[in-house]
Amino acid sequence: MAETGSAKAPTPGGFKRLIERYPFLPALGILIILLALNGIFSPNSLSYRSLTGLVSTYLALIMLAIAQTYVIFAGDIDLSAGAVVSLVNVVIIVLMEKMGGGGLAVFAALGVGVLAGLVCGLINGIVVAGLRLQAIVATFATSIFFTGFALWVMPVAGTPAPALFWRTYGSKLLGLPFVFYIVAALAILLFVISRTRLALQLLSVGDDAQAAYQTGLPVTPIRIKGYLLCGLFSALAAFCVTGDTASGDPLVGGKMTLFSVAAVVLGGSALAGGWGTVVGSLLGALTIGLINSLVFFIGTPSEWQNFVQGLAILVVLMAGILVGRRARA
Amino acid sequence: MAKLSLSGVSKAYGATLALRRGDLDIEAGEVHVLLGSNGSGKSTLCKIVAGSVRPDKGEVLIDGRPVTISGPQAARALGIGIFYQELSLSEHRSVAENICLADLPGKSGIFVDRAALEARASRYIALFAGVAGEGFSAEALVGNLRADQRQLVEIMKALSSEAPVIIFDEPTSALDRAQVDRFFEILRQLKTEGRGIIFISHRMDEITAIGDRATVIRDGETIRTLKLSETDPAEMIRLMVGENSDLPSAEHELPAAGPSAGAPLLSVRNLSGKGFRNVSFDVLPGEILGFGGLHGQGQSAVLRALFGASSISGGSLELSGRSLAVANPRSAIRSGLAYVSGDRGRDGVIQGRPIVENAAPIHYLKERLLLARPSALRDKVLPALGALHTKFASLAHPIGSLSGGNQQKIVIARWLIERPEVLLLDDPTKGIDLAAKADLFNLIRQLAAEGMAILLYSSEDAELLGNANRILVFNGGAVTRELTGADRTRYNLYQAAYEAA
Repeated sequence: MAETGSAKAPTPGGFKRLIERYPFLPALGILIILLALNGIFSPNSLSYRSLTGLVSTYLALIMLAIAQTYVIFAGDIDLSAGAVVSLVNVVIIVLMEKMGGGGLAVFAALGVGVLAGLVCGLINGIVVAGLRLQAIVATFATSIFFTGFALWVMPVAGTPAPALFWRTYGSKLLGLPFVFYIVAALAILLFVISRTRLALQLLSVGDDAQAAYQTGLPVTPIRIKGYLLCGLFSALAAFCVTGDTASGDPLVGGKMTLFSVAAVVLGGSALAGGWGTVVGSLLGALTIGLINSLVFFIGTPSEWQNFVQGLAILVVLMAGILVGRRARA
Repeated sequence: MAKLSLSGVSKAYGATLALRRGDLDIEAGEVHVLLGSNGSGKSTLCKIVAGSVRPDKGEVLIDGRPVTISGPQAARALGIGIFYQELSLSEHRSVAENICLADLPGKSGIFVDRAALEARASRYIALFAGVAGEGFSAEALVGNLRADQRQLVEIMKALSSEAPVIIFDEPTSALDRAQVDRFFEILRQLKTEGRGIIFISHRMDEITAIGDRATVIRDGETIRTLKLSETDPAEMIRLMVGENSDLPSAEHELPAAGPSAGAPLLSVRNLSGKGFRNVSFDVLPGEILGFGGLHGQGQSAVLRALFGASSISGGSLELSGRSLAVANPRSAIRSGLAYVSGDRGRDGVIQGRPIVENAAPIHYLKERLLLARPSALRDKVLPALGALHTKFASLAHPIGSLSGGNQQKIVIARWLIERPEVLLLDDPTKGIDLAAKADLFNLIRQLAAEGMAILLYSSEDAELLGNANRILVFNGGAVTRELTGADRTRYNLYQAAYEAA
């Protein structure tokens, strides 16, 4: 180490530097390939109409993947994210129905929904960061708890959303689909959050929690704030689910949880924390959506769809990791 | 009045007293050196000041006011900055972000003020302009930097606290000459600003070059504070060592039986790897070769590399005259090497399993056993355990029911069912009681007498002096001195450990 002559300076190559700056590039490449494949098998699937449909169907997963990203930044995980989606979904449906389904009722219900998501996030944060329980098991436990609460709010699925709500979600504004405005607002929100101190602190905690503590960062409050962000975006995901399905279902979000984790990893973030981007998670969620539609368009028999879908996710995951590993070598 | 003053501070971890009575006074505008051997308590003292360890007893005064340092955050608020020996960096963040991480410059409450962050970081980066080396920039990710460059980032991070008192716990271990010189210029500048600096180093030339006063700690107690201008290295080492430091160790404890003459059993030539470089030595059958020096100077790294637990980047190995390649621990075991670590939890004990299973894994591996009859296994295991005077209720009891010393005996016993040729001992007596230690060293000497070659690293110098036939002193990853015969004194060992790398 002391000899200066032979010590080689680290000079990352162009590709490596690019991946370091934009860790979501492999995910973007895969997304473009999947879009092309979709177009080959069914040219119609690339139409404006189909793409709008794709976005409005998978916007919920995008939101949930983003929610998951913030806790994964800090090296945590939230296995209750899907249950929070279910809970917020039934809470806002019941509230909107009880209050008559007018414009004011919708806004009030959405406000309560956001609040519910934040409370769930706070509970997770206190349990994981405050009480120092293992994140995987603790949030698995809270997911059961949240699901139970959702079932108490609405024991049977099927209560419809007020027409005002789902019509708005599927409507057009100034010639553009409403969901595109949501995407634009989301992009601005993500950009704003990425400039905050919290984003940087979450990543530092995920990088090395002990080092962050020794540096003097308030590690526990930072992790709780990560879960709060997760709760907020889970609530937003629930709004999208409600707009898309137009009804209440106390179990609607459960199966989305692990898809959201998969989307984060597909997007190039490290599950161990400290490394990743929300843009990558957004692309990862779209990738999962495109895989599903591709499986449909190539005419897979229905009994084989799960099989092919699982295989395709594995292949994409492998491709992303191979590219990432080459960049890091 | 002292800027920072500790009096009668103590800290115990369980039954072990890490710090018995720590006293320290830091004046404004001085570089205050902490001197002490391995485990003397100087790191504990630093951690108490930095807030990461809470003292059991004693008083901490800052500018004459008694304070309670409840954590690293509180320490910063009280005006204490620290350079952590093991570094406190985020690998995936940039140099600039790491420097400012503790106190990110804000904009309208929640946002990071990027411009202010870059400006502040560049001030500290500029301090080391020209010596930081290629590839060092504000935007570089810390994970891509060399070890010396990371250490510079940690220094800049400590400096950016702008604290009135800054602790530097071995800040120079990876730095080259030019970097150290620049760092010392900065420290002199800090002195003129009236800041108080605590400095720990294991290089005597650095201590005399930069230090104003030194406090010597021995066995968890502050021995004396002296002015460096009124003393010399020999006296400092004598204070660290205590009484009778000039006597050869042979006079207070019998050395081991001594090697039989002949061809070396294990030859190591120019071995390099992560944490050590150019290490060469021979071990004869029946010889106990000690590895000495301060903590973490490459002793454990060499032993782990020999066992195949970490990779070797250069050099060659010969076992009984035949070239030896160790790809992983499994191949090392098959070629006759054995490794016992002081970190039982990580490297030795199989938690929650019975004693018999903990004593048998090497037997399974060497004999390629798939199934074993309990009675046959019992006959193999019992003699090995008996040789060590291991106390246990029955072979079926979980290993956790034993004391640390007896657990370690079980771990060693697993190597004795089929005898290895070379035994690698990596601080094997860490955290075990005196009686068990005596048993262990009796066994080690006996094994050597029967012709086994033994490499012994111990963080307790008395164990090395009392048992090793020769001692290689490690400093900065290389062997800097070899002590044999009457040279094996405590004084020589310390002197070698503290001399410039």
